[in-house]
Amino acid sequence: MNNNYHKILGLRELTSSTFVLEIERRDMKFEPGQHILLGRAGDIHHREYSIYSGVEDKALEVLVKEVEDGEVSKTLKHLKPGDEVEVQGPLGFFTLEDEFLQTGNRFLFIASGTGISPFHSMVRSFPNLNYKVVHGIRHASDAYEKSDYASIRYVACTSRDDQGDFNGRLTSFLQQNEVEPDTHCFLCGNFEMIRDAMNVLEEKGIPQDHLHAEVYF
Amino acid sequence: MKYHIVQLGCQMNISDGERVQKVLDQLGFEVTDREEDANLLGVIACSVRQKGIDKVYSRIQKWNKWKNKKNLITFVTGCVLPADREKFLKTFDLVFPMSELPSLPDMIYQYGVVSPAGMQTLDKGLAEMEKPVLKTRNEAAFRVSEAQLPVDKKQILHPERGIEEFWHITPKYGSGFEAYIPIQNGCNKFCTYCAVPYTRGREVSRPSGEILNELHHLVENGYKSITLLGQNVNSYGLDKKGDEISFAQLLRMIGEYGNKSQKKFWLYFTSPHPRDMSDEVIEVISQYDCLAKQIHLPIQSGDDEMLVHMNRKHTVEQYRHIVSTIRRLIPQATLFTDIIVGFTGETDAQVENTRKAIAEFKYNMAYIAQYSPRPGAASSRWVDDIPKDEKKKRYHMLTDELMKHSFEYNKRLIGKTVDVLVRGHDRKAGFLSGLTEGKIIVRFPSDDESLIGEFVKVKLHSAATFSTEGEKVNAQASIPVN
Repeated sequence: MNNNYHKILGLRELTSSTFVLEIERRDMKFEPGQHILLGRAGDIHHREYSIYSGVEDKALEVLVKEVEDGEVSKTLKHLKPGDEVEVQGPLGFFTLEDEFLQTGNRFLFIASGTGISPFHSMVRSFPNLNYKVVHGIRHASDAYEKSDYASIRYVACTSRDDQGDFNGRLTSFLQQNEVEPDTHCFLCGNFEMIRDAMNVLEEKGIPQDHLHAEVYF
Repeated sequence: MKYHIVQLGCQMNISDGERVQKVLDQLGFEVTDREEDANLLGVIACSVRQKGIDKVYSRIQKWNKWKNKKNLITFVTGCVLPADREKFLKTFDLVFPMSELPSLPDMIYQYGVVSPAGMQTLDKGLAEMEKPVLKTRNEAAFRVSEAQLPVDKKQILHPERGIEEFWHITPKYGSGFEAYIPIQNGCNKFCTYCAVPYTRGREVSRPSGEILNELHHLVENGYKSITLLGQNVNSYGLDKKGDEISFAQLLRMIGEYGNKSQKKFWLYFTSPHPRDMSDEVIEVISQYDCLAKQIHLPIQSGDDEMLVHMNRKHTVEQYRHIVSTIRRLIPQATLFTDIIVGFTGETDAQVENTRKAIAEFKYNMAYIAQYSPRPGAASSRWVDDIPKDEKKKRYHMLTDELMKHSFEYNKRLIGKTVDVLVRGHDRKAGFLSGLTEGKIIVRFPSDDESLIGEFVKVKLHSAATFSTEGEKVNAQASIPVN
């Protein structure tokens, strides 16, 4: 048996193109914010996915957006409980270092689309975290499992409908709202969002060593 | 029986090729530079650019045509993406990751080459071996597709598996005075422009005892320039989670050995990642004579946004801290780097930041690459939106900046006497050339081939952008060091 093979436990459809894959965790230890390399067992194609679940959760979960012509996401969508996937990892350094986790530190998590995955893991893993999530999505229905965040800590910025907490791009939300200069800002998503949001935050006086980013690809 | 290997790619591939050659030599094959004379034809592939893989395809087409006239076995190994491997399985006779090299004799044997002497006397000299005989082979018998393989044989998904056995093979060193020692394989960093994490798999560190044994053997045999190799050479040991020494500790052990050995040698390493470049590593380099005062520290871009886009996991400020530590603790060190120009979305302002970084860090050498999407890498799924002419323009702009600082440094060497490891004849007739400890090229008038592979002292009298020139002075530098 391949040591990296894990069984699928289930699949939660969140939207027509986005789902959470629940994977047998076995003894995998990880830090919130890390990712895994994932593919169907025996397949030659693998992709990086941030871990969505918390460190205490029984299953290992990833949030997957089905990509048109995607070599991995389409395959994952069709997996059934009992099927096997290959998991390598955990990998990556987009984590909350111990020094950040000291009492009183505030965190701003800025995500576009499925870039919210590492922050979901952080919030589930550290219940006492003083955080706010700013989530850039097209439609309010893309606010994946937003009940997992305290309602005052989650802002859905919707660019294609007016059903979100803020109607417009997340960069506009950032421009219109105060960010305390000592906030640790973590950004995850597509590069254009990260670039624009970092520019806004720098203009607001957030020091560079308080900006942490991971581009989604 | 003769073999011919087409070697593509980086120093790691060259080092891997030295081990492939050793295995084939021990089987009784003889190397030939003429591919048309060979019975065994192999490629050590590189997936860094599509061009490299295109070369593999064109080569195998030619070789397969030759199969109508003679018995041939073809193989491909090295850095191969899973999708290319699928295709190669249909065209090459043998396709294997480098970690399976120890099984190459079995693969060849099963394929139809019978060389009992070669198979059974791996440790004996070539002179004692019989020449292998090529049997007529069954064309279809050994064409095994990926789908037919049992799951645990699908090694390409785990090119790191078995790498420890691969490291046990003593290489056929390509030089009598310069050598590479692989200490780590694979990459966990996932820079968006790079395919290595998909071709070589996860980071695996070689046992430190083996590394030190290979180093001692090389130094005892007169090797004078030794380079530790790894895709992320300074993340050495991290994968072992406390069960292996750190890179700094490894360097310290080599430094201590250097002090005791009474042999002069220079120890280099490449390529480090800024994220894992600790102050301790720099401190250790500053403390031991044998640890060369030359640092190759890839920056890739001088712009923080580009570094995020490249998923480099460091900022310019963090890089600046490392360079300032190097300048403080090892002021004599030369500094080399790698830069990618024209990466997806790079603006004029961002390339200007890279120019400023070159000006600030005053590199002696920068390997500047014009960006081209690398198949399999994440960025290959993005639009390559900087036109070729613009990339070229930016490349020249950065090169001009580099040349200023390199030339300034070299001019300051005029009048100084430096130790030089002589590497061979220079392009300039009647001259030999070599490298200083800091890898500055030095040429001097001499036809004395006995100096090749030796340390000499050269008094420099002139400087060019990337080289210097001088006269050899009498006292040889190949004296024991404390």
